[in-house]
Amino acid sequence: MNVLKVPKLTIAVFVLPCLLLYVSMVFVPILFSVYNSTFQWDGLSSVKEFVGLENYKNILLNDPYFWPAVRRTLMYAVFSMVEIPVCLLFAILINRYVRKGNTLVSIYFMPVILSVVIIGQLWKTIYNPLDMGGMINGVLHFLGMDSSMKAWLSSPKFAMYCLYIVSLWQYFGYHLLIQFTGVQNIPADIYEAARIDGAEGFKADRYITLPLIVPVFKISIVLAFIGSLQAFDLIMVMTGGGPAHATDVISTLMYNNTFMSNKYGYGSALAIVLVIICLVFTVLINTIFKRVENKVS
Amino acid sequence: MENQVKKNHAIKKTVSVLTIGALAVGLAACGSSNDNNGGNSGGTNTAANTGSSTNAGGAATDSGKKVTITFQNIYPDATSPANKLLKELVAQYESEHPNIKIELDSLNTDQQKLKLKTQAGNKEIPDITIVNPAAQMKPYVDAKLLAPLNDMLDQNGLKDTFQKGLLDYYSFDGNTYALPDGNNIEVVYYNKDLFTQAGISDVPKTFDELIADVKALKAKGITPIAIGEKDTWTGSFLFMNILLRTNGGPGFLQDVLDGKKDFNDPAFTEAVDAFQELVQAGAFPEGATSIDANAGGNIFKTGKAAMFIIGSWETGNIDASSVAGKVGAFTFPTVNGKGDLNQFMLAPGSGFAISANSKHLQETKDFLNFFMTEFPKKKFELKDAVGVGQVVEGDFKAAGYSDLAINILDLFKNVSGGDLAFDNTMNPAVAQAHLSSIQNLFVQKVDSKQVAKEHQDAFAANK
Repeated sequence: MNVLKVPKLTIAVFVLPCLLLYVSMVFVPILFSVYNSTFQWDGLSSVKEFVGLENYKNILLNDPYFWPAVRRTLMYAVFSMVEIPVCLLFAILINRYVRKGNTLVSIYFMPVILSVVIIGQLWKTIYNPLDMGGMINGVLHFLGMDSSMKAWLSSPKFAMYCLYIVSLWQYFGYHLLIQFTGVQNIPADIYEAARIDGAEGFKADRYITLPLIVPVFKISIVLAFIGSLQAFDLIMVMTGGGPAHATDVISTLMYNNTFMSNKYGYGSALAIVLVIICLVFTVLINTIFKRVENKVS
Repeated sequence: MENQVKKNHAIKKTVSVLTIGALAVGLAACGSSNDNNGGNSGGTNTAANTGSSTNAGGAATDSGKKVTITFQNIYPDATSPANKLLKELVAQYESEHPNIKIELDSLNTDQQKLKLKTQAGNKEIPDITIVNPAAQMKPYVDAKLLAPLNDMLDQNGLKDTFQKGLLDYYSFDGNTYALPDGNNIEVVYYNKDLFTQAGISDVPKTFDELIADVKALKAKGITPIAIGEKDTWTGSFLFMNILLRTNGGPGFLQDVLDGKKDFNDPAFTEAVDAFQELVQAGAFPEGATSIDANAGGNIFKTGKAAMFIIGSWETGNIDASSVAGKVGAFTFPTVNGKGDLNQFMLAPGSGFAISANSKHLQETKDFLNFFMTEFPKKKFELKDAVGVGQVVEGDFKAAGYSDLAINILDLFKNVSGGDLAFDNTMNPAVAQAHLSSIQNLFVQKVDSKQVAKEHQDAFAANK
């Protein structure tokens, strides 16, 4: 910063408005939630009963729906992150073999600009039972596999996987675009130099593309991770967390407790737990990537 | 350069961490930030209001002052009779009282519930809003957010237009806090054509007959009972009707609340078993738990399902659908020989309530008084008067009401008692546990003792 010959005051003047806005919109609500999480409160009455860490204790020890929700949230994250290498592979292939790669990538990107509500309704129709026009069941029926037909979203066993698939489908194009741009930005002369040295095809990918793509790859991973922890709207539209909590993730559990069960304090505590989980994993991802970066480069 | 990149990374890291935090907490925090301030200003407002209402006469003569009343409501559908009624009455009142402007905030039911909760957190509820009866509105009353309406009910006999006992659901400690837009009962609508197709000659009077009919319909490839169980209240409403029968009469939940019974009671497990029998017989559409309430109703209204077990408020909608004229209604059958056919699940309607902190309390009361006085007449005109909670003058048949409407009105005449929906009786936390427990029955077979235990645990944990 010192290289910039700008008085500290000027910097402060430019930074302050945003900083204040940020603090008031982000930190203050978090602090309020921390405060509220120590009460038993219905969100309406003026009577708040201070219960200390009781809410946290109940979440961690007594809530039968919390740990399964954590598991589903993390599964969501894992699935979203596993998608990224596939996106990278596609990006490399498109970059190498497709003439107008941009067009193809734009087409893949289309689901991202659709509203989640539309996506949810669309996929609900795909998953519907046969008599309601469900496409998957229609195909199964056509193939004579009637025994595998199901009301997919109403099956406690499959509903959650159905939701993962929708998310993967929607965000495939998003991560493909990021990876594709990353791959395109690697200067062509590096490859040319490598070719002279005898590195082509997969060898070039291993020693040039992969090391240089790591920062972009990391962005995708972090975005996918954050996105899946926030997963809420799609689940709300498609299953509402049901049947009977089978598709509850932390955010829907928090919503239902706060607004449906009027347990405001408990909901706030859940929110704080979610924040902590996010923090822990973001730090974890960063550490891992620092190692990977050091290793490949 | 290297440093710059690192710094950027560090910033990015912080930003991403904070962003997640913000998004995660944003939802739960949005209602709370103003609480302390809101509480204080709410207090001063109330003080100001008591002042202004004591010299209301003075304020009323001071009529040059423009007053805007916000009217939050749950009638957003411009094609529905309820929405027409709302607009016509508001227009009429505004033309008679040029200094009053009524601003409509029309939302669908779930949005309104959520918006009101958020507004209530800030003590900023609209002048007129919608609350649901009994246990659902109690938190608002306890938080002193609603104004008592006794004076306005007594002032011109408005109170006597309501059916006897109906206002009790909206009254606490002798004060009435809301005026209902209806009073309905749960009935079984059935499609006569589909019944004939399945060779069913008479409506079922017992649960065993109902199961037999379900199987007969199913065998013909007809969905026996329409339901949209993504909105969990629908299944609960049906389940409660079974419980009303197995308990031999109303009051099971009240007895639980009073500590005289608990959910492990045989009446409760018997009801769960009966309900599961329906599910096992294939009574409900496949994938019911991912169908929302409206779509569930449409299965019946498009002639794809034979029965629809729901509140009588659907009468007008069914008459406006493609199955109009083919539909009849009967009361829910007895279960294992228990229960009384003249007892119904009662559904006192959503109630209009006035904010205790309203800046124009007197004007708002005057408007609501006008609105509710005209309400039954207008409803009757719009052919939507089945299930109105007030005395309706006029001959339904002569006015051209459908056979189904007359059929329902006849059922009303026999009502000798009943129960309220689960979420109108128990607090929201217990109700949520119940709703998801019942939803679970749609997707897997559960031991009824386990269901009872889930209920009892939730009840004990959220007293």
